[in-house]
Amino acid sequence: MSARFIAPVLMGIFMLVLWEGLVRAMAIPPYILPGPILVAKTLVSDWGTLWPALVVTLTITLQALLAAVLVGGALALLFSLSRWIELSLFPYAIILQVTPIVAIAPLIIAWVDDVDVSLLICAWLVAFFPILSNTVLGLRSVDRNLLDLFELYGASRWRTLLELRLPAALPYFLGGLRISGGLALIGAVVAEFVAGSGGRASGLAYRILESGYQLKIPRMFAALVLISAAGIAIYLLLSLISHLLLRRWHESALGEER
Amino acid sequence: MVSSPALSVRSAHIVLDGHVVAENLSLEFPGGRTTCLLGRSGVGKTSLLRHLAGLLPGTAPAGPVAYMAQRDLLLPWLSVLDNVRLGHRLRGDAAARHAAGPRARALLAEVGLGHHLDALPQTLSGGMRQRAALARTLCEDRQIVLMDEPFGHLDAVTRFDLQDLAARLLRGRTVVMVTHDPLEALRLGHEIRILSGTPFVPGPVIAPSGAVPRDPADPELLALQARLIGELRTGG
Ligand SMILES: Nc1ncnc2c1ncn2[C@@H]1O[C@H](COP(=O)(O)OP(=O)(O)O)[C@@H](O)[C@H]1O
Ligand SMILES: [Mg+2]
Repeated sequence: MSARFIAPVLMGIFMLVLWEGLVRAMAIPPYILPGPILVAKTLVSDWGTLWPALVVTLTITLQALLAAVLVGGALALLFSLSRWIELSLFPYAIILQVTPIVAIAPLIIAWVDDVDVSLLICAWLVAFFPILSNTVLGLRSVDRNLLDLFELYGASRWRTLLELRLPAALPYFLGGLRISGGLALIGAVVAEFVAGSGGRASGLAYRILESGYQLKIPRMFAALVLISAAGIAIYLLLSLISHLLLRRWHESALGEER
Repeated sequence: MVSSPALSVRSAHIVLDGHVVAENLSLEFPGGRTTCLLGRSGVGKTSLLRHLAGLLPGTAPAGPVAYMAQRDLLLPWLSVLDNVRLGHRLRGDAAARHAAGPRARALLAEVGLGHHLDALPQTLSGGMRQRAALARTLCEDRQIVLMDEPFGHLDAVTRFDLQDLAARLLRGRTVVMVTHDPLEALRLGHEIRILSGTPFVPGPVIAPSGAVPRDPADPELLALQARLIGELRTGG
């Protein structure tokens, strides 16, 4: 706890002080680079606009993550049940993954009437792959000897899935989930950027664009801080969930000594 | 008790990914007795057991078997007790599973894990885990029992106690037990076969006199042990 916690906090404080000091010493105007104190003040004074924007972006993020869990998990199960389905679908999942979201987002936004739904689709597209590929890997890396044991014990396919494959894949799934959480936020923000003024003009990314046009640079920074904070919060939350689910038995969550 | 069936292998070929482990192999394992297989590591003992268990492609088990693998294969997310009851749990028969409870507890007490029923496997030492795996194998209550170096990770004294326990609980069953310890084979085996060569051939049946578990201080046993070690060294 101690060094792991204190070291980054000290580093952060040092960087903030350095930033504030430089801004003051060099008399950098706030529309070029606002100091951290000004950003913090803006965060408080503009909370009325920023908070609803954060809620909008987080809602899309969490919905996309949920959809990614459902679709990614279901596809992974399907793939583990049928080699044919996997062989025919997995390449397309990869194509979706490697195509930059900024390139597809305008199409999706143009094709789907409801802006919220199109943002959701974009964020989901970015987020679902780590869950899919990790879960497929987990379902497949079950110890062969354990599968043999289950066969000798006369376990049905369904029992084997429930009692062996799913628990064994859980750590992999949770690893994918942690990556997807951050990606869902990035996807949501990127999609909002692309949608721009054509969107519902409400998410954090839109607030950043808007502040840019209006040269309200401190507010832009405040919105950035909120996005980062949201990303960190999502990561910590998913790590906590993962820890709670695995702490009893998985190596990753066990203490170092036996 | 129903008399346990004999096991036999007739003109079997055991091939793993192109590696020929045994060719045209014929072996008999008498019903209701314990046969110990001795051999250097890598000779194909595990492969033969897997063949008998029907785990190799193109094979089928002779009947319901209990199989204790070389590794303990405990599920890390289940308690020791649930691991021991795993077979009943997996067959999804609630009544059988319920009935297996007292049996599993009794077995765990006998292997010295009576106070660790709710512990998770990774909180146990290697020897304790192997004892849990032994309890699980015995909990299956099968007429045919296949065991792959079941006492490999135990200290000398525990090993001794568990050999006695196994001899008692395995009485009347058809047991094929792989071991690399000649003395263990001599204590527990009604019959002993040495496997040697690539592909391996089984040596002649060695049948020490006396009931199992045999007294390790018996001079006949010690003489046989010297002979077995000699054969293992030259045969490998
Ligand atoms: N999947 C495999 N593919 C090819 N060779 C294998 C495979 N598994 C085991 N072998 C080989 O088969 C031989 C017998 O292995 P095994 O039955 O595990 O030996 P033992 O149990 O007597 O130590 C070894 O030489 C090993 O290298
Ligand atoms: Mg082996």
